[in-house]
Amino acid sequence: MKKREMAKSDKRAAVVESHNLVHEYSRRDEEGNITGIVRALDGVDIQVKQGDFVAVLGANGSGKSTFAKHLNALLFPTEGAIYIDGMDTLEQENTLAVRQTAGMVFQNPDNQIIANIVEEDVGFGPENMGVPTEEILRRVEESLKETGMYEYRKHSPNRLSGGQKQRVAIAGIMAMRPKCIILDEATAMLDPSGRKSVLETIQRLNQKEHITIILITHYMEEAAKADYVYVMDQGRIALSGTPVEIFQETAKLAECRLEVPQVTQIVQRLRAAGVLVREDILYVEELAEVLVQMGNR
Amino acid sequence: MIRDITIGQYYRADSVIHSLDPRVKIVGTLLYIITLFVFSSFAGYAVAAVFFGILVFLSKVPLSYIIRGLKPVFFVLVFTAVLNLFWTPGESFFTWGVINLTWEGLYKAAFIALRLIFLVLGSSLMTFTTTPNQLTDALEKILRPLRYLHVPVHELAMMMSIALRFIPILVEETDKIMKAQAARGADFESGSMIRRLKSMVPILVPLFISAVHRANDLALAMDARCYHGGDGRTKMHPLRYSRQDFVAYAVCICYSLLIFVV
Repeated sequence: MKKREMAKSDKRAAVVESHNLVHEYSRRDEEGNITGIVRALDGVDIQVKQGDFVAVLGANGSGKSTFAKHLNALLFPTEGAIYIDGMDTLEQENTLAVRQTAGMVFQNPDNQIIANIVEEDVGFGPENMGVPTEEILRRVEESLKETGMYEYRKHSPNRLSGGQKQRVAIAGIMAMRPKCIILDEATAMLDPSGRKSVLETIQRLNQKEHITIILITHYMEEAAKADYVYVMDQGRIALSGTPVEIFQETAKLAECRLEVPQVTQIVQRLRAAGVLVREDILYVEELAEVLVQMGNR
Repeated sequence: MIRDITIGQYYRADSVIHSLDPRVKIVGTLLYIITLFVFSSFAGYAVAAVFFGILVFLSKVPLSYIIRGLKPVFFVLVFTAVLNLFWTPGESFFTWGVINLTWEGLYKAAFIALRLIFLVLGSSLMTFTTTPNQLTDALEKILRPLRYLHVPVHELAMMMSIALRFIPILVEETDKIMKAQAARGADFESGSMIRRLKSMVPILVPLFISAVHRANDLALAMDARCYHGGDGRTKMHPLRYSRQDFVAYAVCICYSLLIFVV
């Protein structure tokens, strides 16, 4: 309900808009005969406004990665439609513009870095787009500074940590001047400190550069940082709302094979035990502060 | 350690030779190799040696490094020299049983050995002063006219540079797989040749599968970043000739002319 009200009052343009998006995979046996059809996406309606930070949560096989690939014209809808900045991804002449508008960071840091030197990798996107040399150099410098990787510009990507590689990948997308960055489980293969550095980077880009962020993840803690969360299950949007709203729905999340973050669990148990802390606490530090204040009183 | 593996043998230094356009170096090396086959007197070698010496001095690569480059071809070198020594007819100076050494043979063996040595030294000076990336870029630019014959020059260059990027990753992966298999009791060291070859299968199969997965991921990532072949593509670091490159070309041509005269 709340979302609809927001949509009415909000005049910002929608960067991503999907209408009844359906995607079917055909499963084939070894001879190539179709043995079954899997509906990976089943009527997904999502609208993301320019400048939003949206998380798409889902367990393995919920269809969230399939959805992400639609945002980048890597997969195409079987039914329904998806518009990126108003462009229909099904129109072939839009493909390159769609990919430039919505950049994608993938899961495996090693498999998305193309060049042997950090700065050349960041320049790969603009090179493909036919940007003039001086402009490429300027964009590469800017993007590397924005992601905090400028001092590594002459390094070989092989010597960077996972988190650093993902930041290089983000810089590579930024150099294409996108409106929207999609992170398809981009933190799944990273250690906690790498995950933190990547999240901080995208939050900064969201707040300073007003880049729209779509974070595809199965970590609840990451989703807590978003403005708005969609929960996917079996190819459908099972829940949507602000992180605080979503985390109240413990039972529904469990149905989607997701678990609420520890902090929310503690808050809920405290409330059940009669300690009336606020319901909308998302971070450990926040909870600690509230508890200390209650203790002082 | 294993991450540090380098392909080719680039020696990092700040020298005139290093900063030359890679196209000049490739063309220069080719000219140099051709001239080696032109002259037929030892005087030619003297000129070549002096020229090469100056280049090595300018490149700041230690001579011992360059000479080390001869190691892998040492066997070939000895083999050709010995063949020439024993099987060249002429005026003999030493005969013992079937062995018959001639002056002509000695001369020819020395001549061919020198030719091979200079050839290897010259080309390794190029790989010492040029990174594999520069080489790929230069080859793409030099071979560009072949596009009109439908040779996929850009694609080949792209493949080469991606291969260079993934070699260390795959080496590391091989190491990981070997350790994983060893942890489960695989034995790669003992047994006959055939046994040892067979024990490579459990390494190669997972390695191939993983390489295919990586290739698939990489193709998606390249698509996502608007890669659509070489058409309409610009370069971040385009190859541009500067004055020193023209000077280098001039030097190469003068050298070749000098050799033809000698």
